[in-house]
Amino acid sequence: MSHDHRSDIALLLRGRHRPLELDEARWEGLLRIARTSALHGRLAEANLENRTITPAVRRHLLSCARIAAYHAQLVRAELFQLTPLVKDDFPVIVLKGGAYLLQHRRLAAGRFVSDVDLLVPAANLRTMEERLHAAGWQAARLTPYDERYYRDWSHETPPLRRPGHSLEVDLHHAITPVTAAFAFAPGSLFARSEPIPGTPFRALAPEDQLLHACLHCFQDGDLALRVREVADIDGLAREFSARPGFWETLLERAGELGLQRPLWYGLHFATAWLHCPVPDTVMAGLPGPGRHARRLMDRLVPLAMLPSDPDRPPPSKVIWARWAMLSRYHWLRMPLRMLLPHLARKSLLRLRAQAAQKEGAPENGAP
Amino acid sequence: MSATAYRLLDVGAARLAVASPIERFHDDLDRVYPHQEPIAEPMFADVRVTLLPGSRFRPRGRQVTLWADGQRPFEPYPHESALPLFEWGSNYLLSQRLNAHLLLHAGVVARGERALILPASPGAGKTTLTCALHLAGWRFLSDEFGVIDLDTGELLPMLRPAPLKNRSIDVIGRCPGAVLGPLFPKTRKGDVAHFVPSRESFVDRHRRANPALIVFPRFQAGAALRSTPLRAGEAALRVGLNSFNYRALGPLGFQAVVAMVQRSVACELIYGELDDAISHIEALFERLP
Repeated sequence: MSHDHRSDIALLLRGRHRPLELDEARWEGLLRIARTSALHGRLAEANLENRTITPAVRRHLLSCARIAAYHAQLVRAELFQLTPLVKDDFPVIVLKGGAYLLQHRRLAAGRFVSDVDLLVPAANLRTMEERLHAAGWQAARLTPYDERYYRDWSHETPPLRRPGHSLEVDLHHAITPVTAAFAFAPGSLFARSEPIPGTPFRALAPEDQLLHACLHCFQDGDLALRVREVADIDGLAREFSARPGFWETLLERAGELGLQRPLWYGLHFATAWLHCPVPDTVMAGLPGPGRHARRLMDRLVPLAMLPSDPDRPPPSKVIWARWAMLSRYHWLRMPLRMLLPHLARKSLLRLRAQAAQKEGAPENGAP
Repeated sequence: MSATAYRLLDVGAARLAVASPIERFHDDLDRVYPHQEPIAEPMFADVRVTLLPGSRFRPRGRQVTLWADGQRPFEPYPHESALPLFEWGSNYLLSQRLNAHLLLHAGVVARGERALILPASPGAGKTTLTCALHLAGWRFLSDEFGVIDLDTGELLPMLRPAPLKNRSIDVIGRCPGAVLGPLFPKTRKGDVAHFVPSRESFVDRHRRANPALIVFPRFQAGAALRSTPLRAGEAALRVGLNSFNYRALGPLGFQAVVAMVQRSVACELIYGELDDAISHIEALFERLP
């Protein structure tokens, strides 16, 4: 990684908050890594009124801002169409991006949202699914194996989509996979949830919202280019930190739910990269990872999460780091006796599909 | 670490930068961008990509991959098809990034500053008609993108080679004065050869034009010429349907499309003979208010 590239990342992370004074060439580099890490909308939000930018840069920032605004509009429209399905028999919680948008969180400006995530009590999952089906949302067609995977081992139903809509609706009954080492009973999430004014939806309590962001960032999927999720953690922490008692309650909740480790990682990297103002007492109150684990994560997480040099394919250490982080994810997600057969089966199916599929890329809709 | 040596192309509404160690690709670029002077100093580029060759030992033939910003957004192409991959891939990336403008899926030619816009869905014969009009003396502005400045309603040229497909290659290729790039047989879109716009049009690539005539072309083999005038409302809806980002731009796109049809004449044109279509379009243009 060249020195220039490293300082570009620092600039990008700073440029989410305030206008930057740079030359055109530097701006181009910044736009490139901003796009790969999906932070370009945030960068645009903070810099559109910047008087030092050239017309070419402004054109790109304007483009990012408009697409981000369009995505936000799609999410609002999807949620609006979901409102008749929310009755007073059980709570429906909007998770993540959709909630940030409806709650007018500062971090929602310029943030891209690609799907709508809903959380309902497990006992009401079928009912909610039936309501969605009756209203026209359809599940993606899955193989019986994948269907069973979702039903038995995951924490969400297969994604639902209404014909003609570009957004998917993911219906969750927990915020961790049921098989995961971090799995916990989600009852208290509902008990502590808050109404979202002007809508029939609810949102997680602030502390739970931050914990969910940490869980999602460090325990869900590979970590490739996830710096955006650390930016979410930072944005939520900054917004909530002004509320009296927030940090104390956060520590308590992390302890209750057994999420101290994901919280430690989330706050650790938000502080290291984004200068998130986390009180020292909070970090001191969290049992962190051991020395070796910490050193390993400090080495691997930046490689996996931060954008690599945009001028060339990711170097092998980046690919290796992303692979290692993906392995860690699988390891945490389910015990080995379930994981190994699962991965073997998925690989076999993928090989078979590759053999069956003729060569050729989908070119649908593109010029 | 040495800086990557990028080759720069200024195509009017956008600037492209591309690096590749594949010699054949550079030869092909020379053929389809013959009027682009080498640009020595570094320049802001809207799209910056690298085309890298795959393994020499791949059993089913060597491939080429397009890398954009450390990612591989598309499936690889056969090694010799680096140019079509660059053209198609960079157009796709532009369509994602030029949302400061309204982007129509349209060919655009002009007489001076008065533009004829040819919005069409793929397969309607847009590229063939655009090239034929250019060969008949119209200024070439673009084949793929009709780029509209949202502030002024003007059209911005995007001077890229126009990909002719299958039978069109021969139809345009045998016209006097037509310059075509190398033939790429049996790509995913069939045979492809790129039509090269004239030097005059390339030199004029920063000269904007105003919408004057909108023609929705549809080629039908053997059909007699049929031209149907369209009212502004219908023309606006059809322009919106033939756009990359009309929906995404919301009210801005709507206002731009309405303004465009209000200052233009619009019609649908079904034709079986290119020459008939050109004479009809020229007659329409003569009669414009």
